[in-house]
Parts: sequence; C-alpha cells; structure tokens
Amino acid sequence: MISQVIMCMLATVAFAILFHVPRTEYFFCAVNGAVGWITYASWNMHGAGPVAASLWAALALTLLARAFSAIRRMPSTVFLITGIFSLVPGSGLYYTSYFLIVGDLARFMEKGTETLKIAGAIVLGMIFGLVLPQGWFNQLGKLLHPPDH
Amino acid sequence: MPRSKEILNLAVSIGEVMLESGGEIYRVQETVGHVLEAYGIGDYHVFVITNGIFATVHEQREDAGSMVRYVPIGEVNLQRVAAANQLSREISAGECKIEEAYEKLLACRKDKGLPKWLLILSGGVGCAGFGYLMGARPYDSFFSFFLGMFLEAFLILAAHYKTSKFITNILGSALITAGSLIFYAAGAGILYDRVIIGGIMPLLPGVSLTTAIRDLFGGDYLSGGIRLTDALLTSMCIAIGVGAAVKAFQMLGGGVLPL
Repeated sequence: MISQVIMCMLATVAFAILFHVPRTEYFFCAVNGAVGWITYASWNMHGAGPVAASLWAALALTLLARAFSAIRRMPSTVFLITGIFSLVPGSGLYYTSYFLIVGDLARFMEKGTETLKIAGAIVLGMIFGLVLPQGWFNQLGKLLHPPDH
Repeated sequence: MPRSKEILNLAVSIGEVMLESGGEIYRVQETVGHVLEAYGIGDYHVFVITNGIFATVHEQREDAGSMVRYVPIGEVNLQRVAAANQLSREISAGECKIEEAYEKLLACRKDKGLPKWLLILSGGVGCAGFGYLMGARPYDSFFSFFLGMFLEAFLILAAHYKTSKFITNILGSALITAGSLIFYAAGAGILYDRVIIGGIMPLLPGVSLTTAIRDLFGGDYLSGGIRLTDALLTSMCIAIGVGAAVKAFQMLGGGVLPL
C-alpha cells in the first residue's frame, strides 16, 4: 500500500509536469492524487467494488482540490485535472477493446458496462464535490490568509 | 482606437489564453467580465464556448465595440491558466495599468515552458507509476517507463507536425500495444496487458472528462457536450489503436494471447 501511494504521488507529479502545472504546486497535486488513490484503494479493499470506490474517491479528490485552490489561491482545475488520472478507468478501456477483438462478447459487455459505470461514478462524485458552496472554501482561505487591510 | 476597444481587446485576450490552455468556461466568462469592470466598463456581454469567445461593450454608445475570437482547443497548460487568473486578480484589485497588463500577458504567452527532455522523462515516470497502481510488477513498470518515454516523444512530434487528434491517439495506443507485444513475444516475461494499461495513461481523456463535468455543472451545456464528445471519441480512438495492434499480432502468428 505504501509503495503504491509513493508511486501514485510520483506519477501524479509526472503528469503535473506534462500539464505545465506551476512548480510551486507539484506537492499539492501529489497529495491530491495520493488521497484519491488511498480512498479508492481502501473502499475497494473493503469490498465496495470499483464503481462505488471511484465515486468516493472522486468526491474526496474534488473537495480537497477546492480546499487547496482556496488555500493556494490557484484555479481548482490545477489540482483536479492532475488528481483525477489515478481514477480514470484505463484498464477497463483496454480490456473492453481486448475482449471485443478476441470475440469474447460476454466479457466485452461486462467490462464495457463496468468502464462506463466507473466513468459515471467519477462524474457523480465530482458533481457532489462541486455542490458545496464556494463560500465555505473561501472561509478556509481567509483563515489562512488574513486580509492585510 | 477608442479606449473601450483597447480594454475589450485586453479582456478578451486574457480570456483567450485561459480558454486555449484548458480553463473552464465559467472561469473565462467571469475573468473577462472582471477585467472589463475593473477598467470601468459596466455595460458588457460576454459569451464563451469551448472554442470561441464573443463579447460586446457599450452597445448603445458612440464607442461601441465587439469582438469575436476563434480559439482552437490547445495543449493543456495550467501554468498559463494560473498566470492569467493571477493577472485578472491584480487588475481587479486595481494594481495594474492597461499597458502593464498587456506586457504581462505577452510575457505569459511567450513563456516557453519546460524542456522537452523533462516532458519525455515525466511521460515515462507517469506511465510506470500508473501502470504499477494498476497491478504491474516493478519489472513491468520498467518496460512501461521506456514505452511511456517513447510515446511522449511521439506525441511531441505529432504536435509539432499538427497531426489530427484522432490519428495521434490511434497511432499512439497502437505503438504502445505493439511495443509491449513485441517485448512479450521476444520472451521478456512481462505481464503485457499491465504494460499496455500503464502506457496508454497519457492518452486517456482525463482532462476532457474533468472539464466536461465542470462545464456541465456551470450550466454551459453546449461546451460540456463538446468536451464530453471529445472524451468519448478519444476513448474510442484508443480502443481502435489497441484493438488493431492486438489483431495484427494474432494474424502474424502470435496466437491467442493468454490473459
């Protein structure tokens, strides 16, 4: 688990570099990616299945991204885009097309449906994270950056 | 040039930088509005979609101005989004004259960004890391690392020659799959499927998906739809590339691959 978290942080920073994130924000992107992965992995470990786990992970990630955005005074996209990559169902996409090619239609349907469900769960999780009013996060930012005047 | 036109040009240019670098619609719309207001223009209309900005100011007056910008979806560059955001904040706080703002915007546009070798290296690290998360062994991640670097170099080259996005995604995922299968067939003893999954990571439409949700959530259904279509088509292209390479491998005598 610890090695996974470290690898997740490393990979997230690598993607942050690919998306030209400002250098000062690498660490926060990494933390966001790691929190997403830890949430996903721990829900998955307790038998929630990848769909529910993705939903909770996307929710955790979105809330943290918004908190970071208020604290660091950065657009929240910076943390959200880089963090979400550990959840995007790449393996589902691969197996779906693999089963289609080898002609195993039953497993193609199964994997395809699961991949779509995971994508839908990420969408839902992010939407739940976005409905909290921005004012709450701004309060958090004000707490840490007292106004000068 | 009337002053209103000058202000409008500045505001729309800041919005343009944000939009082409991956900013969300509502952010662009708000930013353009904030900049116009900061320079004393209260009567304005701004309409933004994924690949265009339309704005008018002072419609009823002598110095009326309007502007249309076509903004093709560019490379994601969050540094620029952040810089434009910061600039708009400074302008709103009244800390920035128009000329000064123009200069800052120009500097932000000229920013060359990171060296190519660093991008290629991080492509490799990203593929290896995410491959490991998806169940690859460290030994497999080693191969993902090299394939990832290869893919990133290919992507940079494709961007340089302005290759169509579809072709880039199909060829990119086919390259990764073919590379992994070649190593597998050569007897490297890798879990070839994990290597592929790690390798296609940089192609996955994570950015489009995220931006689509944010746009839809902000009520910009048209822009959200555009991004969602982009995400769907990209996934299909990746599937086509992977599928084609696997099929070719089978037809060349590789037989049915064990899972």
